[in-house]
Amino acid sequence: MEQFTTLEIFQNLLLAARWTVLLSLIAFVGGGLVAGILLVLRMTNNKVLTVLVNIYVEVFQGTPLLMQLFLAFFGLSLIGIDMGPWAAASLALTLFTSAFLCEIWRGCLESVDKGQWEACKTMGLNYYQTMFHVIIPQSVRLATAPTVGFSVQVVKGTALASIIGFVELTKAGTMLNNATFEPFKVFTMVAILYFLICFPLTKYSKYLERKLNVAS
Amino acid sequence: MSLVSLEGVHKYYGEKHILKGIDLKVKAGEVISIIGRSGSGKSTLLRCINGLEEHQEGNIIVGNLEVTTNDLQLQKISKVCGMIFQSFNLYPHKTAGENVMLSPKLVLGKSNEECKKLAMKCLKKVGMDQFFDQYPESLSGGQKQRVAIARSLAMSPKVLLCDEITSALDPELVGEVLKVLEELASEGITLILVTHEMNFARDIGDRVIFMHNGKIWETGESEEVFANPQTDELKNFLSSVL
Repeated sequence: MEQFTTLEIFQNLLLAARWTVLLSLIAFVGGGLVAGILLVLRMTNNKVLTVLVNIYVEVFQGTPLLMQLFLAFFGLSLIGIDMGPWAAASLALTLFTSAFLCEIWRGCLESVDKGQWEACKTMGLNYYQTMFHVIIPQSVRLATAPTVGFSVQVVKGTALASIIGFVELTKAGTMLNNATFEPFKVFTMVAILYFLICFPLTKYSKYLERKLNVAS
Repeated sequence: MSLVSLEGVHKYYGEKHILKGIDLKVKAGEVISIIGRSGSGKSTLLRCINGLEEHQEGNIIVGNLEVTTNDLQLQKISKVCGMIFQSFNLYPHKTAGENVMLSPKLVLGKSNEECKKLAMKCLKKVGMDQFFDQYPESLSGGQKQRVAIARSLAMSPKVLLCDEITSALDPELVGEVLKVLEELASEGITLILVTHEMNFARDIGDRVIFMHNGKIWETGESEEVFANPQTDELKNFLSSVL
């Protein structure tokens, strides 16, 4: 059995945490882009597109992230698309994130006072002018805090990617535990590292909420 | 030639029959006050005139435009007919000046420079030019409403629809808004106002319309209507509000 000092364990976990952060960023940025596209599709007010987007959102919100990872990793390779752990994890987390962000942002768009739509109508603005000049700028303020808050869920969600062999923080923890048989020490460190990533995000989200509430 | 004309207008919300055959002609420069109990259909009538609500039967003509609710037609109507709301509905993320500038820029296609000048002029008219760079949240109710009036004026409308525009204001702020309306009326703009300010309706209005049960129940010259109400409904209403 190999010997690892506490410092070495920590160093190895820290290196693996890079991939947790990177995967979170990919999921968050990719998810944000896809969510934006979904919202634009909804904005066209085309009934078919709206229904399709709703189905998409319901499916990804209503099934476990783990199943989505399995399907992306094993399922796609069955039909001949070879997905490595990186690609599969990025894909599944991006789709998962996009569904939630789409729903959060839709809620924010709809919570803008109806009077704003009426004012725009009487001022002669069309649907898109109203959206881009009046509704979206206001909902960005509303959406910032819950969006940053949701990023914490994405970070924790990346832990599941360990199951398909993606070596991030959790997977590294498992491997180090297998080598050292010191689960308490190893997984405490893993938990602390997750906390160090997530805590600033939570704090930032709270800060934004306070700041934007005071402003309105 | 009337500026606003309604013929046999009916409006339903599902099963509910809100407007039951409204005929109304408004000449350019007239000031019309619409009074009546809540639920009598007066706000709905106002909101049908500029297409904010769809009517199911009858014709509404504003300027020489047939009122429908599609974007393109609403855009044309907005150049003839402005509206002021009880809840102001200013854009909270824009300054007073930017509130006024938005539509001239996007709808009339004016340059930034022109829009700025125009906004200054409109804000000056309502006595709010020194608040050009302030956000609505830092303004009082009366000031917000004056900015909202300036915003409408920027489209140089021929007729302004006012939907209980002083109802959300503290009593001491009502005066400043009504004063602006009086000035506009004296300059010849056409006003159609739904109001609870009976004294104002009597003093400024050329004509008063009393609505009851979705119909124009009684109408006539302001002094006359308030001095000699003909129907029991109007007598009851006036004795309950005056």
